Amino acid sequence: MNGTEPFAIPPEVAFSTTYDVAIVGSGVSGALIAKTLGANGLKVLVVEAGFGEDVTISDYSKSIERFYSQVSKDNNAPYAHSRNAPMPRDYDAIKLRDGKPNDKGYLVQNGPFEIDSTYSRVLGGTTRHWEAKALRMLPDDFKMQSAFGRGRDWPISYESLSADYARAERELGVSGNVEDQEYGGLTFEDGYVYPMKRMPPSFLDKAIAKDIDGFEIEVGGETFELHVRSTPQARNGIPNPAYDGGKGFVPKGAVSIHQAEMGGRCQGNTNCVPICPVQAKYDARRTLLSAMDSGNVHLLPRTVASRVEVDGTTGQVTGVSCKTYKDKDALDHTIGRLKARIFVLAANAVENARIMLASDLHGSSRLVGRNLMDHAYLLTWGLMPEIVGTGRGPLCTSGIEDIRTGAYRKHHAAVRFSIHNDGWGWATGSPYTDLAELVDTHNLTGRALRNGLIDRVGRQVLLDCMIEVLPEETNRISVDPAYIDQMGNPRPVISFDIPDYTLETASFSRRLTRRIYQRLGAEDHTAYDPLAPGWVTHEGEGFTLRGGNHWAGTHIMGSDARTSVVDAAQRSWDHKNLYLAGAGSMPSIGTANTTLTLAALCLRTADAIITEFAAGKNASQMSNASQSVTA
Amino acid sequence: MSLHQIKDLAGLHRHLHAAMQLEHATIPPYLTALYSIKPGSNIEAFDIIRAVAVEEMLHLTLVGNLLNAVGGTPDLTVPGFVATYPAMLPDGEEDFAVNCRKFSPEAIATFLKIERPARVDQGDQGGRTVARRKLPGAIQAGHVGDDTEEHFFSIGEFYKAIERGLDHLYSEIGDSLFCGDPERQIGPEYYYSGGGALIAVTDMASAKAALDLIAEQGAGITGSIFDEDGEIAHYYRFQQLILGRYYQPGDQRDNPTGGVVPVDWDAVFPVKTNARIVDYPVGSDIRLAAENFNRIYASFLARLTHAFQGAPEEFIPAIGDMFHIKELFYQLMRQPIEGNDDSNAAPTFEVNQTPQETS
Repeated sequence: MNGTEPFAIPPEVAFSTTYDVAIVGSGVSGALIAKTLGANGLKVLVVEAGFGEDVTISDYSKSIERFYSQVSKDNNAPYAHSRNAPMPRDYDAIKLRDGKPNDKGYLVQNGPFEIDSTYSRVLGGTTRHWEAKALRMLPDDFKMQSAFGRGRDWPISYESLSADYARAERELGVSGNVEDQEYGGLTFEDGYVYPMKRMPPSFLDKAIAKDIDGFEIEVGGETFELHVRSTPQARNGIPNPAYDGGKGFVPKGAVSIHQAEMGGRCQGNTNCVPICPVQAKYDARRTLLSAMDSGNVHLLPRTVASRVEVDGTTGQVTGVSCKTYKDKDALDHTIGRLKARIFVLAANAVENARIMLASDLHGSSRLVGRNLMDHAYLLTWGLMPEIVGTGRGPLCTSGIEDIRTGAYRKHHAAVRFSIHNDGWGWATGSPYTDLAELVDTHNLTGRALRNGLIDRVGRQVLLDCMIEVLPEETNRISVDPAYIDQMGNPRPVISFDIPDYTLETASFSRRLTRRIYQRLGAEDHTAYDPLAPGWVTHEGEGFTLRGGNHWAGTHIMGSDARTSVVDAAQRSWDHKNLYLAGAGSMPSIGTANTTLTLAALCLRTADAIITEFAAGKNASQMSNASQSVTA
Repeated sequence: MSLHQIKDLAGLHRHLHAAMQLEHATIPPYLTALYSIKPGSNIEAFDIIRAVAVEEMLHLTLVGNLLNAVGGTPDLTVPGFVATYPAMLPDGEEDFAVNCRKFSPEAIATFLKIERPARVDQGDQGGRTVARRKLPGAIQAGHVGDDTEEHFFSIGEFYKAIERGLDHLYSEIGDSLFCGDPERQIGPEYYYSGGGALIAVTDMASAKAALDLIAEQGAGITGSIFDEDGEIAHYYRFQQLILGRYYQPGDQRDNPTGGVVPVDWDAVFPVKTNARIVDYPVGSDIRLAAENFNRIYASFLARLTHAFQGAPEEFIPAIGDMFHIKELFYQLMRQPIEGNDDSNAAPTFEVNQTPQETS
């Protein structure tokens, strides 16, 4: 992006133009679709609820400084809170009591389980705080019902999605190596390499591999050999000269509408979540700005979609009502209406469902908002016998993947494990809490304090256990007139419980990680607080489970209008010119972070829209009003 | 025709050594200005100077590749490789010296001179060169005779002369000009910054591509603001700091119309210009730190030399060295010099000096 100013178009222009496609949400789903459509000459409007900042280096630096200065370093800490487009915050999740909902934050938590997951309503969406792990889902994950009699099958297979995974890996810029991904039935095209070489394994990875590689365990009657494997991630590393048949890969760097800093390779700041100080981590602004470079894509920020309007006879969407604000917090806003031939909701699984339900569109299957999924994370932590250099490298460079699938999934959920280079931060608030403890409890000062911190923090290891949750119709997003935001839009109400299928794997994972710590000679410091949100008990043992911010399932994909909300192209069964894009379409989430898979799905969606226009079904010209506008 | 046409391989090697010195000679001044900016302030300026400094490192590596390709041996440890500041650039511009000084209008004015576009009317003739007497501040590799050295108006013209020499030698000996070990080439995996990429030099086409990239990223041969990849030339990057606005496509020279580039000349550590070890009291912490800096910097150059001489993988730990160097910069720059209330310390870059310079 070499600088087009003004960056966004005025609302009166956006609302008076009829676009080929209007997309709600500038996150990875919306940006990918916009870029693909724009490159094919379609006129696209992208609407973003957030303020639309952070398109210059100095704006980005402000977000970093805001994060550094916040006491609570939660996922949305870098971003200014807005009353007009409020965001869930980790610390809003509290232990629910007496069946009373928690409506203190933006999300209304009905329970019984409290999710501390969040998402970001800023330009680029939740990729603005994601960690950028970019694992593919396994072939088995796409056929849970037919393979294991659990959950649901997808209408598409891993094999048919494989080429789109490769496209998504190019667009997101994934570092990884195929050799480390040979497990669980994963297949790659012959000769395929990732765009960039794998993130170099950390010293901690190597220390763990020394004792874990080759460790044999039995799960569900099957024997698995564990290995430490590098984790593919959308983070700039060393480009692989063998990529694309020897053409290599040119990484995309920092985003700016002014030409200033031109890019960064991961420097190991261990600050990936929420914000990479050198923009080595992919976020959707990269895709969005290159979409806008086509000249065919307009951005309308500070605009919240409030209602999808549908023709009662045909079921076609006739427009989307929006509210545009000027000031983050002030009460006033103006109302407008998006006009387009095709509409895409790409506002994430929670907001997509919220907008549909606020429009009284439950789907003929009545499944809009239902089948809500997220990963359940069980955190375990310990102290290694030696200093392992905690705090160097990206948050995670390696994981243990060997039991991501197996016959045991007939009985309990799949799991994978990440090795954290950032110590106990996620579980305990380390290193800040370590400092407080050494000063307040151990009365250490000066050199003793410094050495104490090195000894304590430098030996920390945290293994997260990322556990699958299957779709259940009772886990859901709903809306309730009792809970509305400042603009008058209904807030998402979450009803969620952790199924036994998942809890069984939580117990299993705790047992397995105990054995792993024994093998490592590490002190296991794992402890769970019954008063913390996320506390669950299973067969006499208690844990806290944390959310993964991987909201999914709320407009579930299927091959039949009666049992699903969208088809394999993410098109609404009920509204032929409406697509619901993103992880909300996913019928399972396996043990992969959802972004790479939803990116692959959205590329398919863009293809479907292009085909539709090319076939002339929607052949049209832009209105006169739009032709006078340049992005 | 120019007085100092490159006529033989030795002459080409000597010019390429000088080019490496030239690229390196820009780095201490750029880094001194860059790190004198108080962290968190002057974000735009920090970014602009950093981007240019990183590309000078790219150019240094590209020239190293070219020198390796034509059978030379890059060596960043030879005495006199690191300039003594104030320094005359090794390509011989006569009208200005380069100082290591804090981020200031004076510093940017010098940077603009370093990166100034070639004179269009001289470009066809391989640059304007004249002989001048050796000066103590000038760098050894720029010397072409016992008593004289060659002069170019701009870096662009200097590279033009190298390109003409390359053409001349190629017409004489053909592909055997590229007799270097291809294993010594530093490939694209070792560098990227969005702007440009490392080019392994193995033949005339890749040699020309490397020289073109250097020229385009610097001043731009034709003085255009953006190159064909849409990247803005160094000269115009720096000019944005003086003119207070970003350039955007379609802008005319000297008249950028993009967003505002705010500059706070006061949010800067007041570091001493061209600091020397002798400026710091004997036995003081600052002196020890400055001496330590020079030792670390010397070992960094030794590592790069090792990398150029057949161990490209050494570029990876060199990245860690650069973080270390940054920390050492800040360590010095935060400290006032004892007995000198107006000035803070700065690295002195007195590294591998020639006997003449140390005397």
